[in-house]
Amino acid sequence: MENQTAEVLVLGAGPGGYTAAFRAADLGKKVVLVDREPALGGVCLNVGCIPSKALLHAARVIAETREMSENGVSFGPPEIDLGRLRAWKDGVVGRLTGGLATLARQRKVTTIRGYGRFTSPHELAVELAEGGAVSVVFEHAIIAAGSEAITLPFIPASDPRVIDSTGALEVEEVPSRLLVIGGGIIGLEMATVYHELGAQITVVELLDQLIPGADRDVVAPLAKRVARLYENVFLRTRVTGVEARPDGLAVSLDGAKAPATDTFDRILVAVGRRPNGSLIGAERAGVAVDPSGFIPVSKQMRTSVPHIFAIGDVVGQPMLAHKAMHEAKVAAEVIAGKNSFFDARAIPSVAYTDPEVAWAGVTENEAKAAGVAYGKGVFPWAASGRSLTLGRSEGMTKVLFDEASGRIIGCGITGPSAGDLIAEAVLAIEMGADAADIGLTIHPHPTLSETVAMAAEAFEGTITDLYLPRRPGTARSAT
Amino acid sequence: MTDVSVPDLGDFADVPVIEIHVAPGDVVSNEDPLVTLESDKATMDIPSPAAGTVRELRVKVGDLVSRGSVILSLDTEGAEVEPPPLTDQQEPPTLDAADPLAAAREPAARSIAEAPVPGATAGAGEVGAAAGASAPAGAGAGAEALADFDGVHASPGVRRLARELGLDLTALSGTGPKGRITKEDVIAGVRGPATAPPVAGAGIPEVPAQDFSKFGPVEVRPLTRIQRLSGPALHRSWLNVPHVTHDDEADITDLDAYRRELDTAAKAEGYRVTLLAFLLKASVSALREFPKFNSSLTPEKDALIYKGYYHLGVAVDTPDGLVVPVIRDVDRKGITELSRELGVTSARAREGKLGMADLQGACFTISSLGGIGGTSFTPIVNAPEVAILGVVRSKMAPVWDGEAFVPRLMLPLSLSYDHRVIDGALAARFARYLCGVLEDIRRLVL
Repeated sequence: MENQTAEVLVLGAGPGGYTAAFRAADLGKKVVLVDREPALGGVCLNVGCIPSKALLHAARVIAETREMSENGVSFGPPEIDLGRLRAWKDGVVGRLTGGLATLARQRKVTTIRGYGRFTSPHELAVELAEGGAVSVVFEHAIIAAGSEAITLPFIPASDPRVIDSTGALEVEEVPSRLLVIGGGIIGLEMATVYHELGAQITVVELLDQLIPGADRDVVAPLAKRVARLYENVFLRTRVTGVEARPDGLAVSLDGAKAPATDTFDRILVAVGRRPNGSLIGAERAGVAVDPSGFIPVSKQMRTSVPHIFAIGDVVGQPMLAHKAMHEAKVAAEVIAGKNSFFDARAIPSVAYTDPEVAWAGVTENEAKAAGVAYGKGVFPWAASGRSLTLGRSEGMTKVLFDEASGRIIGCGITGPSAGDLIAEAVLAIEMGADAADIGLTIHPHPTLSETVAMAAEAFEGTITDLYLPRRPGTARSAT
Repeated sequence: MTDVSVPDLGDFADVPVIEIHVAPGDVVSNEDPLVTLESDKATMDIPSPAAGTVRELRVKVGDLVSRGSVILSLDTEGAEVEPPPLTDQQEPPTLDAADPLAAAREPAARSIAEAPVPGATAGAGEVGAAAGASAPAGAGAGAEALADFDGVHASPGVRRLARELGLDLTALSGTGPKGRITKEDVIAGVRGPATAPPVAGAGIPEVPAQDFSKFGPVEVRPLTRIQRLSGPALHRSWLNVPHVTHDDEADITDLDAYRRELDTAAKAEGYRVTLLAFLLKASVSALREFPKFNSSLTPEKDALIYKGYYHLGVAVDTPDGLVVPVIRDVDRKGITELSRELGVTSARAREGKLGMADLQGACFTISSLGGIGGTSFTPIVNAPEVAILGVVRSKMAPVWDGEAFVPRLMLPLSLSYDHRVIDGALAARFARYLCGVLEDIRRLVL
C-alpha cells in the first residue's frame, strides 16, 4: 500500500470512527479510516454490544422456556451446542461488519488495517496488519481510538481461565463456577449469559450496589432476581488476590459477607474500561492527553490541537457507542464547516441484563446531590397488564420532573425491554416535555410503553391505573 | 480544571496581550507568569493562581483583555479532569454550510503541502492562534450562551438551526406551546434584535388571498432563503420607521476624473476603483459632522445611542436577492483598501458565502443602483439604523456656472431617514455636506 493523504483521517473504526468517516465522506471529504482490527466495527460490533446481545437473546430464550414450564408449556432442559451458538453469534457479527465494509466502499472511504500512531500534527504512521508501514498525511484527524478492558495487577492475566468480556464472548466453555469481578453493566450481562448456560455465578462488587451509576430503586428488581438465581452476590467486597492452581483459581476476598477464600473455575474481570488515549502517539501531534488516558475535548469535539478532534470512549464517560456516534457526527460536521455542537441533554445507559435496567438524564441520586427540586412519578409494572402477560411483574418505571417547570429531567426503567422504552424518555427530555405532555400522549394498550405515560400521570395525579392517596397540598393538575 | 482569568490589577480595560509565556501541555507552578499585558502605564505579568498543566490557551498576542477575561484553562494537579469548556471553540457561524470561509478561519485548514511540522510545539502554537481567532469581536456576548443552551426550551433540531444561524437562543423568547422556541422563532430572530415577538399583523389588515388561476395560467415559485429572511426585516423597518426621503445631487465631475485615474492603475493590479468607495468615505465624513445620523433609538425610544464606530452597510444585488454586507471601520481605511474590500465582499455576497458576522453591526447603509440607472428612489431605512443613502446613475447635465451652462457630471442622491430622529432641515444639511465632500474630495483628507 502506498502512502496516503486525507482531508480527514479517522483513527479507529468503532461506532464513533465509522460514523465520523461516513459523515465526513458524505460531506465531501476525502477520508482515510485506520483500524488495527481486520473487521470494521470496533469493540461494539466485534467483541462488545452486538455479540453480547446475541448471547443474551439465547439466555432470554432459555429463561423464558424455563419460566413458561410453570405455566403449562414445557420444553425440557435445553441442549446447548456451544459451537453452533458461537457460529450464530459470529454470523451476526460478520453480517454487520461486512455491511460496514460495503458502506465504506460505497462512500469511497479508504480503509487501512493496521496500528496507527501520530508522528506529527499532520501525519500518522500505520504499522500494517499485513506487514510493512504506510504514512497518512492529513488536514484534519478524528481520534476514535476507543478503550480497552482494565486488568487487575494481582490476577494472573496469562492464565486462560481468567477472561475479560472479549474472552467471555468466545464462550469456549461453560465453567461450573464463574466469578464475575465487577457488578457493573458488562459483568452483569455476562453473568446473565453464563447463568442461563448453566454456570453457577458469584458476583463481587466493590461498591454497595450493583450498577452503581443507576438509582438503587431502579436496580433493585435486578438485584433481587440475581440474588435469588446466582450462587452469591457480594457487595462492598474486594478481591485481594488470585492464585492459579491446577484445580481452580483460588480467590481471596475481603468483604463483610464474603468468605475469605473460594475457588472458581473461571474468573471474568469486568472492572471497567480504560481509554486508549496514551497508545496512539498523541503527544507527537501535540494533542493533550490526561494522566488516565482521556483526551479532553470541547463541545465541538476539538482537542488541544484545533485541527485534531477526538470522540467516543477516548474522550470520556460514558463509554457508550451511541454517545460516540453522535460525537462523531459533530466532529465530521465541524470539520466540514458546519457549526455543530454536542449538546445532548441526555445520554441513555442500558444494562441488557434480565431484567434490563435503563436510565437517562438526571438520576435521583444526582438530583439529590445537586440539590435539584424534583418530583417523581413511579409506576410499578405489577400494575401493567402487558408485563404480567410476559410472565414478569418486578419491573418499574420512574420519571423525574423539575418541580418548577414540570419538565422531565430524568427517567429510570427496569424490566424486559427497558432499553427500548428509555428512548421515549430521552426524546421527551430533548423536547422539553412535561408530565402532561407525556401523560396526554396516547400510548398503545397493552404495552410496556404505557408505563412511561402512567409514571407521568402518577406525578401529575391523574393516574387511574393505581390508587395513590392524594398528598395534601400536592394537587398538580387543575383537571 | 480551572479557567484562569485576568485578576483585578487596577483600573484598566481592553489592554493588549503582548507576550505568552506558556503553551498547552506546559507544567506551571503557582505564581509562574502566564502572559504579559501592557496597559498605558506599565506591563504586568499575570501569574498562575495554582500549580498545574496548561490545557488550552484562550488568548493570543494582540488580543485585548479586561478583568475577568479568560486567559487559559489549567489542569490543577490532582484535580478531576473534565473536558474543557467550549467557549473558545465558538466559531463565527456561517450562513452557508459549505462555506469555505469556515475553513479559512481555521488555522489548520491549510494545504497538505505545507503541513507537517514535527514536534508538539507546532501544535501548541496553533492552539493559541485558534483560540484568538475564535473570539471575534462581533460574536459578542452570545458566544458563551451559544456554547450551551442550558435551560432553553428548544428541541435539538431548533438548537442546531440556531447554531447554524449564529443565534443565541438564551436571548430569544419562544412562541410555541409553553414558551417553546420554534423553528419559526429562530428564523424571525435571525434578523434584528430579539424584541417582543411579532404581533400577528399588528392590526394591519392582510391582503386578501386571490386565486389568480381564474384569470390565466400561473406558477408558484418559492422565495429564496435570502428573500424569506429579508422580507420580514424590510417590512418591519417600513412599518416602524416614519420615512422621509430627501433628494439632492452632487457634481462629481472632478471626482470621477480622479477615480478613473485610480481605476486605470488598479486594473493592472486586479481590482477596480468604483464610486462606492468614495461614497463610503464621504458618508463617514458626513456622519462625523452630523453624529445623529450615526445613532439609534433606544428600545424605549426616549434616548439616542450614539456610535463611536463607522461600519457601513452596502446593499448588494445577488442572484438570490438583496444582501447588505457590512464594511467595518470605514473611517480607518483608504480608497484603495476599501476598493479591494468591496470587490472581495461583493463577490462573496454573490456566491452566497457571507457569514452572519459579515452582515451585522452597520451604522448607516448605502444602496447604489448606479450601475443600472434611474433618477431617484426611496430606499428603506435598515432599522435600527436611522438613515440610508440611495444613489442612482450619474449623468452629464448642463449646469449654470453664473455665466454659462457647462457640462457637469451630476450624481442624484436619495437620502431616506427616520423622522423620529432626524428632521428635514438636518437631512438637507447632511445631504448638502455630503455633496460638498463629493464635489471637492480634497475635503476627505481634512
